[in-house]
Amino acid sequence: MSTPRIKRLREAATGYAFLSPWLVGFLVFGLYPIGMSLYYSVSRYDVLRVPQYIGLENYTTLLFDDPYFGISIWNTLVYTALRIPLAVGGSLVLAILANQALKGIKIFRTIFFLPSIITGVVLSVIWLWMFNPQFGLVNTALGWVGLPGPLWLQSTEWSKPGLALMGLWSIGGARMIVFLAALQGIPEQLYEAVDIDGGGAWARFKHVTLPMLSPVIFLWTVLEVIFSLQVFTEAYVMTKGGPLNSTLFYNLYLYFKAFDDYEMGYASAMAWILLVITLVITLFQFQLGKKWVHYTGEG
Amino acid sequence: MTGVLGSIFRKAGLVLVIAIVVAAIVWDPGRQDWPDDGKTHIRYWYIVAAEDQIPFTVRRFNEAQDTVVVHATPIPWQEHEKKILTAVLSGDPPDVVSQFVPVVRWASRMALRPIDDLIAETGFDMDTFFPALVEEVTWMDRTFALPANTASYAFFYNRAMLAEAGLNPDRPPQSWNEVREYSKVITRYDDRGRMLVAGFLPPFSGGHAGILGNLSIAALQSWQLGANYMSEDGTVVNMDSPEVLRAVEWTKDYYRDYDFQTVQAFIGGLGTGEQHGFLTGKLAMVVLDMSFLDLIRRYRPDMDFGVVETPSFEGFPTASMAGSWWLGIPRGASNPRAAWDFMRFATRADIQLEELAARDDDLFPANRLAAVDSSFLVSPEIEVFVRQMEFAHSPIVVPLAHGVFWREFYNALERSIYGQQSPETAFAQAERQVQESLNRSTDYDEYVREHMAFMEE
Repeated sequence: MSTPRIKRLREAATGYAFLSPWLVGFLVFGLYPIGMSLYYSVSRYDVLRVPQYIGLENYTTLLFDDPYFGISIWNTLVYTALRIPLAVGGSLVLAILANQALKGIKIFRTIFFLPSIITGVVLSVIWLWMFNPQFGLVNTALGWVGLPGPLWLQSTEWSKPGLALMGLWSIGGARMIVFLAALQGIPEQLYEAVDIDGGGAWARFKHVTLPMLSPVIFLWTVLEVIFSLQVFTEAYVMTKGGPLNSTLFYNLYLYFKAFDDYEMGYASAMAWILLVITLVITLFQFQLGKKWVHYTGEG
Repeated sequence: MTGVLGSIFRKAGLVLVIAIVVAAIVWDPGRQDWPDDGKTHIRYWYIVAAEDQIPFTVRRFNEAQDTVVVHATPIPWQEHEKKILTAVLSGDPPDVVSQFVPVVRWASRMALRPIDDLIAETGFDMDTFFPALVEEVTWMDRTFALPANTASYAFFYNRAMLAEAGLNPDRPPQSWNEVREYSKVITRYDDRGRMLVAGFLPPFSGGHAGILGNLSIAALQSWQLGANYMSEDGTVVNMDSPEVLRAVEWTKDYYRDYDFQTVQAFIGGLGTGEQHGFLTGKLAMVVLDMSFLDLIRRYRPDMDFGVVETPSFEGFPTASMAGSWWLGIPRGASNPRAAWDFMRFATRADIQLEELAARDDDLFPANRLAAVDSSFLVSPEIEVFVRQMEFAHSPIVVPLAHGVFWREFYNALERSIYGQQSPETAFAQAERQVQESLNRSTDYDEYVREHMAFMEE
């Protein structure tokens, strides 16, 4: 073997050796579980015993025989549709407010950010009290303006909007920071051009701010849809899927099948279906994004 | 020079990477080296909520003999079952575990070693335990665990609230229909129509666990009426029998006495643990297990309350439910015999009574001899709970579809109470779901038996 060839092989071996911690981690904790999950999705498997291959039975049962599959999909999609405008829109509005050149604005930004560092379970317990239909803060506040407070988590109609409303809690978090950074990156001359054309605040927002922020809005919409499709903690802690399965979200049902019933094969099939749903929605968003997302530098 | 240094760094890096990979493969963080003292050392995993102290039975066992040493490891409450099952799956489980999840949930998945050979070898008498508890630790005619502690359910009532409503606190309700009448008298509202105090609220949703009581009144009533949810051979589920439907109709009818939205708003404000409605004086009557006596002692020591047998329908006997903390030997445990010695020691009547005396809470001993001992029967309330054990049903109704059964039961109950479906339709649908799940589990079980020989060990 020629010397350069040996040298190249040695270099490659060294490279792979340095890569190996990540590579081994990915293969063992990433690719292998993903592959096994695919195999389990066509099996009966309860973790402790040998899997039994059953072909596509888990998928056909899910799609055609399981009454909770459709319910959980519907609940998750409705929750996603309710939450996205609140979460992304709320963060955008807050970022615009936090972008004002006011005295002490940095303190306000910190205050806005603080709620987002609270973990999901703690947040859920706090909101459980806030949603107390008789004496909770939300209904008390509604009472001040003469509005009758709903039953929130006790109601089949209000449970999903209630959980979606919780998304407002974290609007001052990472989303606001990224929006703020994007806002501050908008060139001032674009606003000056609007001013020269005689445009007002609305024109500045519509023709400069919004188009310039559209890539960030798009990014967060895609990410938030993916996060929302995986909603779990709030429902697990606050409602356990009730009342009347109105908050039985897809991941909560998946959890019940996996860890209450130990039907890991069935739960794996559910996970793969969720992946396909997420993929389809994301691709659709990308298609839609071509029509409204404006990237600077494009012709 | 740079080339030489670079070569040294590359080689050193390569050696380091290989060392890390090899170490990751061969390192066994779970391996423990016991002292070479000629004794058998075993690992015992038990669940803890907050206190992290060596269990009384472990200390006592280690003092009482010198051939086996038990090393106790506390497992935090959060996701405890998954942690222990992961150890079983890894092939390096503890020698003995303490758990309270349904035994059959583990036994049917071959996570536990059958102990019939150890029982026979040592002449151990399983009749020392309450029959409902023996039923709970038995699966496919094999015994998989020893019951350690248990709980039974009884009817708690707030005497002061009964008296305040003009009812005789010395005569608590005797039947479900009397409960309904008492409740109407006790329930109070504020001037805006909000419910302030409720007499009795039978749970109608799985989400009511811990808030209105940990067992379903409808299921309890159906047992009182004689419902049998499974066929004799354990293959056919029956959830829409006349007994079940009568019980569900009772709850449905019960809520006609109240504005349902007002009740829901009231329930939304109830809490669990020290915030439980019975402790905060918002609920006058509840069916709860014996551990609630501790909560009352801790948070409302001044409460004037009574405990009696759960009411029934006129002409039908009372009923209760038994849950159990148990000790079992996981599959693959390396010292089953030593583990067994510890298990039978920990469930001995005298040891259970000693443990009781050493603790400040009321543990209900699973050993019948301990449960009828005068040192345990220190109050009329505890006597009621012991009597209720004779009428206890195991919560394991459909062993191979335990989780599905209870979820479907509550779903069907909820659909019935909300009026989304008639009880007949709701429970027929639930029955279909549970039966399908049972069929799938049975089919899988048969397949596993052909491919794993564990049960024959």
